[in-house]
Amino acid sequence: MSILKDVLAELFSMFVADARLTLAILAVVAIAALMINATGLPALLGGAFLLVACIAVLILSVKREAQRRQKP
Amino acid sequence: MLDWATAGPAVGAAFLASIVEVVEAFTIVLVVATLRGWKPAVMGTGAALLVLTAIVVILGPLLNQVPLHLLQLVIGVLLLLFGIGWLRKASLRAGGIIPLHDEDAIFAKETAGLSAEVARQKSSQDWIAGIAAFKAVLLEGLEVIFIVIAVGAGRGLLWPASLGALAACLLVLVIGAIAHRPLARVPENTLKFGVGVMLSAFGVFWTGEGLGVDWPGHDLALFVFAALFLVAGLAAAQMVRKPQTEIPA
Repeated sequence: MSILKDVLAELFSMFVADARLTLAILAVVAIAALMINATGLPALLGGAFLLVACIAVLILSVKREAQRRQKP
Repeated sequence: MLDWATAGPAVGAAFLASIVEVVEAFTIVLVVATLRGWKPAVMGTGAALLVLTAIVVILGPLLNQVPLHLLQLVIGVLLLLFGIGWLRKASLRAGGIIPLHDEDAIFAKETAGLSAEVARQKSSQDWIAGIAAFKAVLLEGLEVIFIVIAVGAGRGLLWPASLGALAACLLVLVIGAIAHRPLARVPENTLKFGVGVMLSAFGVFWTGEGLGVDWPGHDLALFVFAALFLVAGLAAAQMVRKPQTEIPA
């Protein structure tokens, strides 16, 4: 049972290393999906949003984690 | 005929990511072999490889039943979560915020941990050591399987991606057999940085395709995405890098 628990925990941590990062990425995908499927905007615009927003999420997440760790 | 513009990134990502995972598993297997001999290490590794093979054989055919766009979307989102997570950690390491991965330190820590566990349960020492090897190979192997599926399934490139992963396993095993010590000189953070970049690029690409985006340049767009993630990761590392304290002469 311990092995199964460890495997499940490992699988979970593969995708949810940081809850805020996970939520931010899922929110970006949801907004891109809405832009592409629920508005009359060109699909490529939704794709461009997805790319730029993912990069922004990465940079902000690194910055936030660094600030958190550097706090005295 | 294999189109390398399409297959190259998938094979490369599977190869590099697998090196990282196999090196981590190898360190634990080596701990077991050093403490209790090769028999429990090989038994544990073999059992884990059997379980991993069973998982691939059982779940592999199911992938063909999933509609392509849904498969691309699900895998794309999982790749974004996994890839950006790796890239974030690699940027923090490159910026000196979290310590670099040290296989020698991990080897020492795992050796101490397993020694204590074995000492507590004298009756079944080989069994405990074998389980440790089993868990390490199973857990790291699951990550390798995910990466191979993630970079290969969306374009029918499972075989080339699997060969990339297999080549990584063989390379680590050969070098490990020769060196007979933890592979501490593998530039693991650089590899993780590169793999994080590639997986994030694949993640945006598959998620977009799954949502119905027709990327300009098709597969070549992957290279542009990878370049942008690389620049972003390096910029993030630079942004958080602590200023070096000058040593007085």
